[in-house]
Amino acid sequence: MKLLIIEDEASLRSSIQKYLTAEGNVCDIAGNFDNAYQKIAIYEYDCILLDLGLPGGEGLDLLRFLRKEQKEDGVLIISARDSIEQKIEGLSLGADDYLVKPFHLSELYARIHAVVRRRQQKGNNIISFNEIEIDVLAKEIKVYGVTVYFTRKEFDLLLYFVSNKSKVISKAAAAVHIWGDNADMADSFDYIYTHIKNIRKKLTDAGCRDYFQSVYGVGYKFQ
Amino acid sequence: MSMKLFTQYNRVLLLIGFFGLLVIGSLFYQTLSYYLNKQIDNYLLEELLEVQDYDHKMNIHPAPILFKDLVIEYRKVEKFRNIKIFADTVFFNPKKQITESARYLKTGVKLQDGPYNVTIITSKVESQNQVMTILLVIIIPVLVLLLILLVINRLLMRRLWDPFRQLLENIKSFNLNKERPYETISTPILEFQELNNAILDISLKVRSDFQEIKLFTENASHEMMTPLAVINAKLDTLLQSNTLGKEESDTLIDLYRATSRLTKLNQSLLLLVKIDNDLMGEKETVDLMELIEDSIVYFRELIQERDLTVFKNFQAVSVFGSRQLLEIMVNNLFSNAIRHNYEGGSISIILSHEALIFRNTSNQPELDESVFDRFSKGRDSEGTGLGLSILRQISSKHGMRLTYEFKRGDHCFIVTFKPEVSPGSLK
Repeated sequence: MKLLIIEDEASLRSSIQKYLTAEGNVCDIAGNFDNAYQKIAIYEYDCILLDLGLPGGEGLDLLRFLRKEQKEDGVLIISARDSIEQKIEGLSLGADDYLVKPFHLSELYARIHAVVRRRQQKGNNIISFNEIEIDVLAKEIKVYGVTVYFTRKEFDLLLYFVSNKSKVISKAAAAVHIWGDNADMADSFDYIYTHIKNIRKKLTDAGCRDYFQSVYGVGYKFQ
Repeated sequence: MSMKLFTQYNRVLLLIGFFGLLVIGSLFYQTLSYYLNKQIDNYLLEELLEVQDYDHKMNIHPAPILFKDLVIEYRKVEKFRNIKIFADTVFFNPKKQITESARYLKTGVKLQDGPYNVTIITSKVESQNQVMTILLVIIIPVLVLLLILLVINRLLMRRLWDPFRQLLENIKSFNLNKERPYETISTPILEFQELNNAILDISLKVRSDFQEIKLFTENASHEMMTPLAVINAKLDTLLQSNTLGKEESDTLIDLYRATSRLTKLNQSLLLLVKIDNDLMGEKETVDLMELIEDSIVYFRELIQERDLTVFKNFQAVSVFGSRQLLEIMVNNLFSNAIRHNYEGGSISIILSHEALIFRNTSNQPELDESVFDRFSKGRDSEGTGLGLSILRQISSKHGMRLTYEFKRGDHCFIVTFKPEVSPGSLK
């Protein structure tokens, strides 16, 4: 994937870049409006990560420019602004998704995958990982072609891990992904353990290899 | 004890009027009676002179004469006494054939056959009538005047205090959270104008302070989001390191926990500001039953994990409001009921046209009203301490009321849809 990170906070920008640069991904960066404007005018990206408040201009203007030029780049807005109006404005201007800061990098990556999938693989909603097939639209999981029943949350969690394969996902990130605003529940971290345990069992029962790897109680890695 | 200013004023006025009238009336009566008595006494003295004259000339006491409403009596006595006694009495008026009040003069006279006591009695009725007439002629107009004064007073006072009442109404309806500012009143009365202006100043000051605080909270929370994003990103990056040991991992867990708590706290603060500012999007008709059913599905794993039993008793209820806020309310009440429950416990959800009730079993003792305060937390709560105060804010924004009850060891949170009188309406 070819990605562009438009973000004025340098340390955040570098972290995102570092996380995303793997598996043949190419990450461009831009720290201000003009820089970003030049890049999107010249190149084409699979997904553009767009911060709204930029030095030298408003991120939404870049979005307007993209739509005016009828560019097909996917756009994922990352912003600290969380008002409904702001979200609606961004999405109606053609952004594919809106992620409110602060977020986990794994969440960001999963969202990028979703954006790119929606934009590029028209009609193809199947994600494959070795013997596992995930049908994103039908919300179905097959192991060696046999459907395995997953609950909604288990499905979301597996998709989340597959999107972040070879990355360690913290329990905190997984909890936010599954529970959203209710992730502050004291024991939501423990529930993640239960979910993972169930997913593992369902997969191995279907003859799948165990791809989950625990990392000292902080999180899990799928590879 | 409190009473209206007007009542108090009237009470004093009436009391003074009543006693004043009593005192003045009786003084008046006394004086008048005194002078009239004096007149009668003079008349009696004249009569006495006539009697003495007659006695002197004739040397016999006259036969009891009956004229001019006058009765003269003689009585033979041992010793002559030359003292004149005037006093009131009653006598039988031989002319009118009735008993009347009267005045008499008693004194001694010397005749040839010895000393006599002579009593001259005359009717007082006429003079009493005079006194009464004069009193009535004066007292009745005074009474009427007093009454008119009272009525005028009442009307005038009401008119005069009208701006004050209006002012009070306006202060009561003044609400910080609403767009409507304090409404001024127009009055020609200087004192009220001053009061009005003072209140206007205060209300403007309070409003601007309040706005400032909200703006400050909003900005502060927003500004914190980017550093939080940096922390999160750095933690996620650190987590990818292959050289992570047990100790570092434990540190990371704590850091993640602290960061997500800080994030949640910030989000809650922003949410509170947004609810206060009515920035939660369009209102719509929300099917509460559907919302709760969705919530049960959403929390399914948590419910199963803790082996909780959920009892449902639903009536189809829709409310008009912000879907997002109502969702937050239901989800929060639900997650509280799960969180503060024990393994194998139960949750009852009752939805009727009057109220929505979440009742859960728990090991924890009864909560007090302070759980609804901002930043109040139970001993082992890991929440932000804002949850319930957000819920209370949401319910009051929708004209509902959130209350807590402790029933036989169970915690009940009750959202009353149409509270009749909201005790907090003036807050």
